[in-house]
Amino acid sequence: MVAALTSLWRRDRLSALAFAILALLVFLGVFGPWLPLGDATQVAAGPRLSPPTWAFPMGTDELGRSFLPRVVEGIRYTFLLATVAVIITAILGTLLGMLAATVGGFLDMVVARVADVLFAFPALLAGLLVAAVVGPGAASVITVICIATLPLFMRVVRSASLSLAERGFVIAAQVAGATTWRVILRHILPNVMSVAIIQITYALSIAMIIESALSFLGLGAQPPRASLGSLLQVSSVYLTIAPWLVGFAGLTLSLAIVCVNLLGDSLRDAVEPLPGRTLT
Amino acid sequence: MSALLHAKDLVVAYETGRGRVQALDSLNLTVEPGETLAIVGESGSGKSTLGLAVGRLLPAVALKESGSLTLQGQEVFAAAPDALRRLRRDLLGFVFQNPMSALDPTMRVGRQVSRAAGGCGTAEMQALLVKAGLDEPERVAASYPHELSGGMAQRVVIAMAIARGPALLIADEPTASLDVSIRARVMKTLLDLQKDAGASLIVLTHDLHLAARSCQRLAVMYGGRVVEVGRSATVLSRPAHPYTRGLLAAAAGNEAPGEDLKPIPGLPPLLRQRAPDCSFAPRCPFAEARCTDLRPEARELDRREVVCHLAERVLVEASR
Amino acid sequence: MSATPVISLQQASLTYRKRGFSGGTLTAVKSVDLEIAAGETLGLVGESGSGKSSLGKLCLGLAKPSEGNVAFQGAPFPGRKALLGKLSVVLQHPEWALNPRLRCGPSVAEPLEIAKWGDAVKRSARVAELMGQVGLDPSFAERYPGELSGGQRQRVAIARALATQPEFVLFDEAVSALDVSVQAQILNLIRSLQAEQGFAALFISHDLAATRYLCNRIAVMYKGEIVEQADARRFYGQPDHPYSRALLAAIS
Repeated sequence: MVAALTSLWRRDRLSALAFAILALLVFLGVFGPWLPLGDATQVAAGPRLSPPTWAFPMGTDELGRSFLPRVVEGIRYTFLLATVAVIITAILGTLLGMLAATVGGFLDMVVARVADVLFAFPALLAGLLVAAVVGPGAASVITVICIATLPLFMRVVRSASLSLAERGFVIAAQVAGATTWRVILRHILPNVMSVAIIQITYALSIAMIIESALSFLGLGAQPPRASLGSLLQVSSVYLTIAPWLVGFAGLTLSLAIVCVNLLGDSLRDAVEPLPGRTLT
Repeated sequence: MSALLHAKDLVVAYETGRGRVQALDSLNLTVEPGETLAIVGESGSGKSTLGLAVGRLLPAVALKESGSLTLQGQEVFAAAPDALRRLRRDLLGFVFQNPMSALDPTMRVGRQVSRAAGGCGTAEMQALLVKAGLDEPERVAASYPHELSGGMAQRVVIAMAIARGPALLIADEPTASLDVSIRARVMKTLLDLQKDAGASLIVLTHDLHLAARSCQRLAVMYGGRVVEVGRSATVLSRPAHPYTRGLLAAAAGNEAPGEDLKPIPGLPPLLRQRAPDCSFAPRCPFAEARCTDLRPEARELDRREVVCHLAERVLVEASR
Repeated sequence: MSATPVISLQQASLTYRKRGFSGGTLTAVKSVDLEIAAGETLGLVGESGSGKSSLGKLCLGLAKPSEGNVAFQGAPFPGRKALLGKLSVVLQHPEWALNPRLRCGPSVAEPLEIAKWGDAVKRSARVAELMGQVGLDPSFAERYPGELSGGQRQRVAIARALATQPEFVLFDEAVSALDVSVQAQILNLIRSLQAEQGFAALFISHDLAATRYLCNRIAVMYKGEIVEQADARRFYGQPDHPYSRALLAAIS
């Protein structure tokens, strides 16, 4: 692990930096509540809307709560929702993509069309609809992220599986009498894993954007819970008197998304190096 | 007359994920103006690398490490971007294996051909198509590539390759993707046009029959070197290199009914650096101690150049 | 050995429905009569798009004929269970022949596993035996396909195809992607293995030279139809059909 990281640092500084930042954010998100960063919920811990000081490194919010633990709480909530949602879609989308390609026929047609429809469906509109039905909160955020990222997996995994389905080892297994499940689990899945993992990183960044957007609109995290989006929304009110609040919340969110994308790019480069010209 | 193309001690290596691979190992080769040369070799022999190197079309991971490659006296690897463009445009024509990937699928054929000819008029463009053996130039010119058959598309590619009257045509497996029933005719068109234009032609192929039938000279490549080069008839009737001999014995098509093919044992080499010995030695039925101790150099023998310590013995075997 | 052919086609046709806007149908195989006996290799040559691979699918039961009959050992194709271990295939691209994520041993053992043949110990002994038969060291079972050359991968694919001692093996362009020097190794290997095991084989290729070397009989396919079917020796002389002669001219 350490060796892999040092070699990554030597090859590609930017990706290594992105990885390090992301690791720090995840660490903060997971262990935040047990770290000596201050209490996120204690009202009037200090003056209201104080600029950054030694006691409050990111200043305080409109209720006098320390903003640093609030941001850490936001990271925790945003990352958690994004991760849970993406795990669900990754499993579902990969499975559907593989099944569609292997079974073919009607199922394939349905999966392809569903992917097209979901792809064309604006995530925010979906968010409003879902929140109206389910009510605002975690469940509706996860549902919307699933709707938005499912086609990413279905499409990419389906097309990767389609090309695998024509390969010698899959046909040989089918001729030998292998069942569809055997073909999928043994031959297709291990070979689409890498493309699915790359999609996971892109889906994560989309998931964070969606979570933040919904929370910004008040459809996601409900107070006193904080997510990066809801923090952004609340602090945007005080943009003119306490601009550092929007700055810290926005910077954290942007950093997280940029780093996830950079990580995805570097994963993709590692899995499919630029082919250059093929030699015959 | 001076040589059109001259490669001297050319070394090209690829930087791959699994380390350095040497594709051309001090390669020497000369092509005279107007001649036809077939370069025969298996995958990994370096023939495609050589073909691409002539136009400096190698992928970014390939590096010319030493030696020189000159085209009409110009050093290809030292040419400035402008000079390189002129060199590719005015001196070279390429025909690749798959005509469909060589044509732009979104542009009508006629426009592509007249662009390749430097923006010529309709009449000139159609004349080019007719020259390339396409009988209905109006219809072909108005078509998109996918509306043409493989053979017709390859004829279009050939028309584009000769459009500017190049000095050297490089054809990489020009008929391998075509149906057998039209291969001979497409090859004949290529040769006719090459002769008309006074251009030289290099055909890269793994097909000994095609090489023998279409080109005056034949170069056999193995392990990044030209191991035998001479007149096609001379080389194929009495090979002096054990590899040439092995190829002829292994290729289906020459055997009598019921006769066994004699495969060359082992596998082609993957060179990491300059070969210190003969890279064919591990597969060679003639090999002796000096083959693994000493790198053979090219020498003249029986009207061809051969890179083998034991060529005399191979020749004696061949005449028996 | 019974006189019943392993595979027989009577007036078999295969029609595909075209996708997309134009619609319509495409007849890939037109009224083909064909028989392959045990121990015999039938060569099938023709250009790409002539319907060779579709005919191969019919012979493996992967496609049902739209007209006519395809029979396996004299009877219509039985279900999956009854066919376990009786059919196998070796395909063109060596780089795709084996699952890159599996070691060669499990790849070769897979047909045995599917057919529920023996236990793990017996199967790995069988894999070692097969590796030897195709001229590879048993230690190849531990290697990943990425470490193998094209010829070696094709040998492993042949070992996998023969694992269950099948009645019928389809070789679809099995040597086309290999270099000349390695091609001859594999052709000789197929020939000797067949002499030993007596399976029926269909060898599909666009390469008449390799086909006539390996096969007893050759069928020439042109636009979905078999235009000539004759003893392989005939293809060293003067075949009847103009297309067969064009094929022959290309190799001499």
